[in-house]
Amino acid sequence: MNDNVRQYGELATQLLIESRRSTATDTLLKYNDVLVRQIIREQRQLESLIQSSLEVSQNAMDGDNTMTPTILLYQTAILRNKRCLLAYHHHRIERLKDLYWSVGGALPLLLATHTNPAANVSSASSSGDIRSKLSPHEVDFLRSYNDSLLEFRSGVAAPEEVDLFAPILRPPKDLHVLVRVVRDCGVIQTEVGAIDFKRGQRFLVRRGDVEHLIVQGYLEEV
Amino acid sequence: MADLDWDFAFDVDHLDEETSRQPKRAPKTSRSRSKSVAPAQDRDGDVEIQDDFDIGAERDDGGGRGFNLGILGEEVDDGGEESLVQELFRHWLNERHSPDILPINEVLLAGLLDRIRKQTSDVQLLRSDPNSSEDEHFRIMLVQTEVERLKFVIRSYMRTRLFKVEKYAQFITSHPEVHDKLSKAELEHAQRYTQTLEAHFTNSVLQSLPPEQQSLNEDMVFMPPMIPEPDKNRPVFAHARRNCPPVRLPDGSMIEMEKGQISLLSYSVIEQMLLRGEVELV
Repeated sequence: MNDNVRQYGELATQLLIESRRSTATDTLLKYNDVLVRQIIREQRQLESLIQSSLEVSQNAMDGDNTMTPTILLYQTAILRNKRCLLAYHHHRIERLKDLYWSVGGALPLLLATHTNPAANVSSASSSGDIRSKLSPHEVDFLRSYNDSLLEFRSGVAAPEEVDLFAPILRPPKDLHVLVRVVRDCGVIQTEVGAIDFKRGQRFLVRRGDVEHLIVQGYLEEV
Repeated sequence: MADLDWDFAFDVDHLDEETSRQPKRAPKTSRSRSKSVAPAQDRDGDVEIQDDFDIGAERDDGGGRGFNLGILGEEVDDGGEESLVQELFRHWLNERHSPDILPINEVLLAGLLDRIRKQTSDVQLLRSDPNSSEDEHFRIMLVQTEVERLKFVIRSYMRTRLFKVEKYAQFITSHPEVHDKLSKAELEHAQRYTQTLEAHFTNSVLQSLPPEQQSLNEDMVFMPPMIPEPDKNRPVFAHARRNCPPVRLPDGSMIEMEKGQISLLSYSVIEQMLLRGEVELV
């Protein structure tokens, strides 16, 4: 059907539009496997076209370079498609890294499948179904990224003094913070002993002790 | 929790100046509050806590009792030298404003972390002392808040560097001359990150392409390179910390910055002066 009238590179443009839409709406779109495969097919097709054109020009007589513009055209299309593919994947990686940091490096939380929709309503609803939007390679990437960061953290002088994963948006103003428990998170050790955080309760606790729980959406600042 | 008097509700707004983007104000605030906690060893081996916290006007100039922990570096900044914290702020702001990754100052970080550790253990000691008064608890809280805020700056500094390390990972890995600027952990992370990213590209895209198209390092005419490099031509605001030797601008003319002068220049122009500490980025 319209496969016949499609220009080279048109599919890649769709891919880029998707990336831009993802940035503009600040959401992670589902990995577009179909489109990526289509573009890769186009690449193979272009490559075979180039090869046959090269043969033609080699068989032709010296000085006959009528095929050169054709080859150049294919070549440009190939390069552009490849770049678009890489840009699409890189853009997604950057988004995933943002997500990763926004939950304070809690990879299991990020990858958790949406098993219990009732329990995690608020902040988790956005992160709950992330897994289904990722390609398997992206999951692998996040895993090795996480490993690498953990290793980086242990290489840093003082892992327990400076928590690398804590948020860096606002400087802390108070030592303590009043929190409301949004989701049960069990018994947590704080400077005044262990506290069992149950949903609905309020506590005044040392910020450093619960910072990661706030980031991960278990607690909410009041 | 009860003994912590957190609801003193004192005004901590001035603390914010420390983390504001104007480094010149930081020395002022750091001078305005000093404190020292001095655990001293008694003859009989008991640890006795003396404290001569002093806040603001009540400052004790002699400092004869105990020694000044001065995490804010009060004891050194009077002679025109900058304290550890001021130095950290300068490095932090430079790093945040510079397009390129700057050499890491591991000595400085280690020194600060040592002080934080010491301050924290002193605070623990004081807190566990049942005799400490309400007033002391209030001071302890100030110290703790301050330590937290200092940690925040260190964290932000490390994260800024980490961001650049990842952004330019491939560039860093392939240019050995950059390696000296990084700490060992950062360099290793850059190498691992490069590997991970290239593996991801290979698995998702490149391996499905025909063999002729699989390279990631293409130098094509008319196309920008695929590996991002620091853009050293980016304009930055440079503030001269002392009188600087003349430098040549890209258009051939010379500029000589006087102490205190702020100029908007291309990063490549002031790069050397920044490394020598003659200017800071604001």
